[in-house]
Amino acid sequence: MIFDNIMLATSELMSVSTMLLMILGVISGLVAGAIPGFTIAMAVVLVLPFTFGMTAVQGLATMIGVYVGGLSGGLMSGILTGIPGTPSSVATTFDGFPLARKGRPGLALGLGVWASFFGGVISAIVLVLVAPQLARIGQEFQPWDYFALMAFALTVTASLAGDNMVKGLIAGLIGLLVATVGEDAVVGVPRFTFGSDAVQQGFAFLPVLIGLFAFTRLLSDVQDTSKAQGNLGAHSAESVKIEHLKAAKAVLSRWGNLIRSSLIGVFTGVLPAAGSSISNILAYDQAKKYSKEPEKFGTGTVDGIVAPESANNATAGGALIMMMALGIPGDIVTAVMLGALLIHDVVPSPTFIVEQPTIAYAIFIAFFVANFMMLALQSVTLRGFVAVTRVRMYMLASVILFYCALGVFALNNIQFDMWTLFWFGVGGFIMRSLGFPIVPVILGVVLGNIAENALAQVIAISTDPTMFLMRPWSLFFIVLGLFSSFFHVYQKNRAVKRWTLGFIPAMCVCLSLPVYMMDGVVRPILGVCLGLFGLYLFVQRARAGWTLPDPEPVREVGDL
Amino acid sequence: MNRLNRDTLIAVILLLLVGFFMYSSFSIKTPVFEKLAPGQMDPGFWPRIILTGLAIMGLIYLFQSIVTPPPPAEKRGGLIGWYRHYKNPIWCFVVFAIFLTIIPILGMLIAGLLFVFALMTMLGPKDKAAFKRHSWTTMGTVGGMWFIFACLLEVQLPKGQYTGLFDEWLLVNVCGIVSTIGEIFADAAPSCSALLASV
Repeated sequence: MIFDNIMLATSELMSVSTMLLMILGVISGLVAGAIPGFTIAMAVVLVLPFTFGMTAVQGLATMIGVYVGGLSGGLMSGILTGIPGTPSSVATTFDGFPLARKGRPGLALGLGVWASFFGGVISAIVLVLVAPQLARIGQEFQPWDYFALMAFALTVTASLAGDNMVKGLIAGLIGLLVATVGEDAVVGVPRFTFGSDAVQQGFAFLPVLIGLFAFTRLLSDVQDTSKAQGNLGAHSAESVKIEHLKAAKAVLSRWGNLIRSSLIGVFTGVLPAAGSSISNILAYDQAKKYSKEPEKFGTGTVDGIVAPESANNATAGGALIMMMALGIPGDIVTAVMLGALLIHDVVPSPTFIVEQPTIAYAIFIAFFVANFMMLALQSVTLRGFVAVTRVRMYMLASVILFYCALGVFALNNIQFDMWTLFWFGVGGFIMRSLGFPIVPVILGVVLGNIAENALAQVIAISTDPTMFLMRPWSLFFIVLGLFSSFFHVYQKNRAVKRWTLGFIPAMCVCLSLPVYMMDGVVRPILGVCLGLFGLYLFVQRARAGWTLPDPEPVREVGDL
Repeated sequence: MNRLNRDTLIAVILLLLVGFFMYSSFSIKTPVFEKLAPGQMDPGFWPRIILTGLAIMGLIYLFQSIVTPPPPAEKRGGLIGWYRHYKNPIWCFVVFAIFLTIIPILGMLIAGLLFVFALMTMLGPKDKAAFKRHSWTTMGTVGGMWFIFACLLEVQLPKGQYTGLFDEWLLVNVCGIVSTIGEIFADAAPSCSALLASV
């Protein structure tokens, strides 16, 4: 069965046209990722209108190409100019740029490219192994569990999106409210249309997403006139030859760091909204902690390049796991992919892998293939990167704004969609200027209808709200959501206030209850183990008199 | 305006909006002929849950903004300073809104050319060389994208009220030539592959 699916997906994916589209996607991603200030999500959003006329497999393969290319493209400008092309390559500059300045730019680039490649391959393996298992668990979900999962995803997004969690939650709720505009799914009654026929069907998801994300981002980029009129690459980038063999050997010899960083990347990708911009710094920090020579970090050490680059590419696999297994986008890129799937009438849900095996396995294979393409095309795009850095931001922004309007119109051939883009662009810019994060709004819009349908099913079955606490998965997500909403406060006060010592043990004990309530043998045993581990931590900390550890010196990102 | 005032003001506006939407949510009524089945969710129920959440968060935000001491406010020099700070985004919005308004009159291509050129001129340097650069870039990029969408992807782009004939002429000639070339290649392909096979 699995073999048949793989063969079907391969035959659809391995056509000349799809391969050419993927190559184009990887090249565009590599070049776009190399442009400072031009994010990967923006590149994927811009490719989206071209995929409307393609099959679902072709469209997704192209977008995966852009995604993987973009994750690796950021290292070029980061290493050669010291300015990260994307936020996912911030930590790469800490050691990549010093190594390039020592006269080894070819080796630095090679390390980045090979670490990206291996990180991508490791996460592809995890994706293939974990996504179907997670989807199998997802099939156990009843509407209560699914609704609690949505609530958890929004809470995590809000807590990770910014300093002020209240603003994050407000943003998420605004997203949910936007999704209610138009006819409701159950009875078809218009809601909040205020007599307008144009919004009768609700706001199309993609104009909202492009308006909130791309429009807002571009306007922020041109806000400062001097920056807008400057070249994209502040320094001149030199053309270099990548030292592939030496770099590959060096990366493989640090397999421990490689695997650890890749797994950090995958795990970060699984969390909604915690994308590669977080994973690369986390992996760098861990690599430094585990290193025998931490003092060498920041001077051009190999481990300092391997960790962030393998982690940021591995994040893609994690984000795809969530999208494919549970229908929840791990980041904006997967939210766009989810939108692309919806255009082709494919609704991602826990049954996605079972119901759409060709598309699902094509995504697995495309992710693998894209990593190989990235490896082969990196040297080629290095020249393109040097040319692209001469473009000025204001020119790029003007052209892209026009392109956004054109692409949004092409979606449904409705001019109202361009006004939707405009109004959500205005709204997004105002929200961003006032310090409200944008990602929770987008996730709210994506999850709004799914959450409402789940709630409608819940009410149709039973109006008893205690069912949310009686079902193990629902309780699991509620407990996790509660703890994750306080995680930001915990992180801020860790090693400063005593109560933080009890946070993790309390979380383990509380989570052990729903895990213990689950069916089967393994999960209840896991629940008992988790509870015992939490109690052990409590006892250990109580014996130590709840004393706080010595505070670590406060580190800025640049000091990492 | 310092941050305390700004955040308080936003919280108050948010709460007013929530109140307005909450009031509107009670006018969401299921038609009489379409009675809700037992256990069926009322269409206004879900929006009211969201609005209740927003009201709670809005109140917390309001409370936070009152009790938390405001950070030192950035001095932007009043209304003129504020305008200077947001000048470029404001002009982008204005030019984009004008662009959307004139699309039905001038069509996507001409409106697009005017939009991109106007925005580049507004945001970029205003010397002669820049004008020249903006003109060429505008024609190349907008023309290129129009070509891709109209001719290759066959999207029916909006035609102008006053430029409809010109748009039609462009479509027939430019896209027509492309499709003719495509047909020539399609015709030639089998004979080429036969030739290659014989070689």
